[in-house]
Amino acid sequence: MFNHKTMDKTMLTPEESLSLITKTIEETKERFKENGHVLVFWGTLILIVIGSQFILSRLELYKFTLYPNYLYPLVGGSYMTYIWIKEKKKNLPKTIIGNILGNIGWIVGMNLMTMGFFFSDQLGEAMAPVFIILLALMIIVCGLSIKSRPLTIGGGLMNLIGLGSFFLDRDYQAFSMMLGVVVGLIIPGLLLNYARRKDNV
Amino acid sequence: MFKDLDPILHSQLRLSIVSILISVDEANFNFIKDSTQATSGNISIQIKKLRDAGYINVKKSFINNYPNTAVSITDKGIEAFETYVANLKKYINPGE
Repeated sequence: MFNHKTMDKTMLTPEESLSLITKTIEETKERFKENGHVLVFWGTLILIVIGSQFILSRLELYKFTLYPNYLYPLVGGSYMTYIWIKEKKKNLPKTIIGNILGNIGWIVGMNLMTMGFFFSDQLGEAMAPVFIILLALMIIVCGLSIKSRPLTIGGGLMNLIGLGSFFLDRDYQAFSMMLGVVVGLIIPGLLLNYARRKDNV
Repeated sequence: MFKDLDPILHSQLRLSIVSILISVDEANFNFIKDSTQATSGNISIQIKKLRDAGYINVKKSFINNYPNTAVSITDKGIEAFETYVANLKKYINPGE
């Protein structure tokens, strides 16, 4: 319909103009469709950390339970740096929403890590629920911003799991955290990847 | 013919460029070229017209020794785009 090589020689009708605007905005947004790899990565990493901490505490190796937390800055930090470099190389324009979500991710992530490393004693039994709820809020905000139903629903369920874990004994909170990341990160991430692959067919 | 429609925006390529810039913070020349499938020369001319109208900002720099032209929409450009869309709707639905 629109031949861009001969543009500006033709007069658009109002309908054509509106159609061109809608099409261009939709196509631009489509190029920024979020993929779920980052969510699946963080979900799996959290699952590994919490799972290994649970196993260590079951084996009564309490003094080692802090060590899996170092995977967050080491593995998580390296992965995010790799993603950042890759995106930078592509030199794609940034969307306002992408910037906001990226910043929220960093802020929540840094707070969760600070809480985990320095305030776990003060937080005590509230540690896991607070961790899950903060993560869930971030996912809900992301989901609502990019209008993703899997993320919004996953985040909402994770939020409920977080609130529910206040009623759980500390020994079993690891399970609610693991369930939370599966429901709030891994499943929505896989669904986003599936939707993206389907759209590219 | 369509006298209420801003002549700067009422052209296919310029309208495409502004529609892209409405959706992003900033876009570089290659992204616009890739999105519009127009020729570099044509895009350059239309970017200049939009810049002269004050609708967009053009920032030239170097990234890894390669020239990079970054384009972003200005407040005036956003306002003009919104007015243009409102006028389009008036033409399409005159009764509303």
